[in-house]
Amino acid sequence: MKIGRGVIILAALVLPLLLLLAVVGGTLFARQGGFTPYRVPSGSTGPRPGAEPALLARGEYVARIGNCAGCHTRRGGEPFAGGRPFAGRWGTLYSSNLTPDAQAGIGSWSLAEFKHAMREGVSRDGVLYPAFPYAHFALLDDADLEALYAWLGTLPASASTPPANRLAFPAGWRPFQVLWRMLYYRPPNPRFGADMPAEWRRGRYLVDGLGHCGMCHSRRGPMQSLPDWGYLAGGRIPDSGWYAPPLDGSRLARYSAAQLADYLRSGTSAHGQAFGPMADVIYTSLRHLTRSDALAMAAFLQSVPPRAPMPAPPGEAAQAYVAPTRELYEQHCADCHGRDGRGKDGKYPPLVDAVSVSAPDPVDAVRLVLYGGAAPTTPGNPRPYSMPPFVQALDSADIAAIVNYIRVRFGQRPPTLTATDIDALHGIALD
Amino acid sequence: MAGRPAPAVLRALMFALAVACAAAHAQPGADAIGERLAACAACHGEHGEGVAGAAYQPHLAGKPAGYLYAQLRHFRDGQRNNAQMTWLVRNMDDAWLREIAAYYAAQPPRTRPADDGETLTPAMRATAERLVLQGDPERDVPACSACHGQALTGLEPGIPALVGLPAEYIYTQLGNWRNGVRHADAPDCMAEVARSLAPTDLRAVSVWLSQQVAAPGARPAPAGSFTPARACGSLHHAGPP
Repeated sequence: MKIGRGVIILAALVLPLLLLLAVVGGTLFARQGGFTPYRVPSGSTGPRPGAEPALLARGEYVARIGNCAGCHTRRGGEPFAGGRPFAGRWGTLYSSNLTPDAQAGIGSWSLAEFKHAMREGVSRDGVLYPAFPYAHFALLDDADLEALYAWLGTLPASASTPPANRLAFPAGWRPFQVLWRMLYYRPPNPRFGADMPAEWRRGRYLVDGLGHCGMCHSRRGPMQSLPDWGYLAGGRIPDSGWYAPPLDGSRLARYSAAQLADYLRSGTSAHGQAFGPMADVIYTSLRHLTRSDALAMAAFLQSVPPRAPMPAPPGEAAQAYVAPTRELYEQHCADCHGRDGRGKDGKYPPLVDAVSVSAPDPVDAVRLVLYGGAAPTTPGNPRPYSMPPFVQALDSADIAAIVNYIRVRFGQRPPTLTATDIDALHGIALD
Repeated sequence: MAGRPAPAVLRALMFALAVACAAAHAQPGADAIGERLAACAACHGEHGEGVAGAAYQPHLAGKPAGYLYAQLRHFRDGQRNNAQMTWLVRNMDDAWLREIAAYYAAQPPRTRPADDGETLTPAMRATAERLVLQGDPERDVPACSACHGQALTGLEPGIPALVGLPAEYIYTQLGNWRNGVRHADAPDCMAEVARSLAPTDLRAVSVWLSQQVAAPGARPAPAGSFTPARACGSLHHAGPP
């Protein structure tokens, strides 16, 4: 009867473990939304809502401020037809076709399925990758989604089918997304801030919902997750090679609400100009903001409590960095940015306390010096000034010396950059 | 009535003010567009005249505005591929790109040869002169001069001069057309030409062209002043308003 006793001992050990696993798994499953997200509404499209001008105008505004085209249009491709590649450590993901083509696009989706995919992150194709910001779009209201659905339905149908995703295991295996959701996804609390003023609530809707600012400005947790502790805390934008600054009341205190609202619409301000991915967002999206919506976003952003600052990457201090060099700064930069780094009357932005200069991560400053840039053209800034690229004029050691100088002098940051660091940042990633 | 200036004086004052404003607009320094284009100047020269010894960056000065505008749009929208150019123009709207094109088009054209020190062998010279001035009817290749003008100074509003460009730049562009990396508006004649010729022919033509000169100040021929050999899409580039 030795075997029988063995089975009993094994069962006594294993059963509690299985029970524990079931309880933990069940709890995690419930917390990512339970079964509801996986019950994708079916049914035909039915009659599309009539093309009421007011509804379509609202839908177009929602599409612009939600910046659908930013991800769902390939450079030179048909608008909203998808196919833009997103390369990352797990492979390459291609955005989908949002035009009303029945096969290639979403022309056969019903309104209910569209709303479900937007807010729950699950469509007829399975669980969507979190590169699609459903964690933010969960906050969108019915009226906006109905308007967006109607407007997308008026686009010219494109039969263009995006290439198949090329993702390594396990990311490429759709059911893995359920496990990812159990570990990392928590639907937002729609009642958060319900007793706040209407302008604040509109701002939160635009920042945390439609505008999905946190996709770049929040610090990522494990497996690209968006944990609470990283909310708008700033950090490297996944796989883009740029750093996004924290957005909170302390960081944005130097702006008046009106200045911040104007910056969001125009891409320029007394405190700096938009560059890198933010210039893209302003060009494709935020320049279309109404002034009252821009003011609401500013009011909300300036109410966000600051998070813990990003720790400096370890080991930096021990490196043999290139000595900061004032002469190089004065020779190449001071004509526009001034010897004192205060910029020039609305033409060239100040470097003193500029985001790229004072950020814990020097990557933005290096990229701007290497490849230059220009603020986006907007109604508020239709003829932007530009910054020349220095990649051909200066070697990596000189660029390290200049960036170290501006970061020490104008950003109160320690010098860390070596010529090797600059070499590693060569190359422009466009899409 | 005593303190009120006479209408004639007022008109004179207004006129003086208008002249002063116009002068300020035309002068560099006031609201000169050039100051906004520091990023362009780094590789193309302050007035688009090109930079010494450049192998890949063309001059812009004096090229037809319609041509320059089309190139800026193509870099932004993906028909031409150069990461640095796309990076800089990716968030610029049509109105601003037209203004930039008009600025460089209005600069004194570059008519001296490229200074890139490429050598031309007698054999290359013979090939190039035949292709540039006569074309190759057997391969259905028109002469360069049949579209770019007898003096190779271009045709408004869409066909650029071929004088003063670095050999390496011309050769790269022809290669890009051949490989489908550069596109002009359809019908894309240059893609057909580049695909019809052998790389050695393209090389000979590129080096020969880089060493040509034009009469000082020679601008692209006015629109419609001659009929190009092909009805290329580039002929329809709209110039600035």
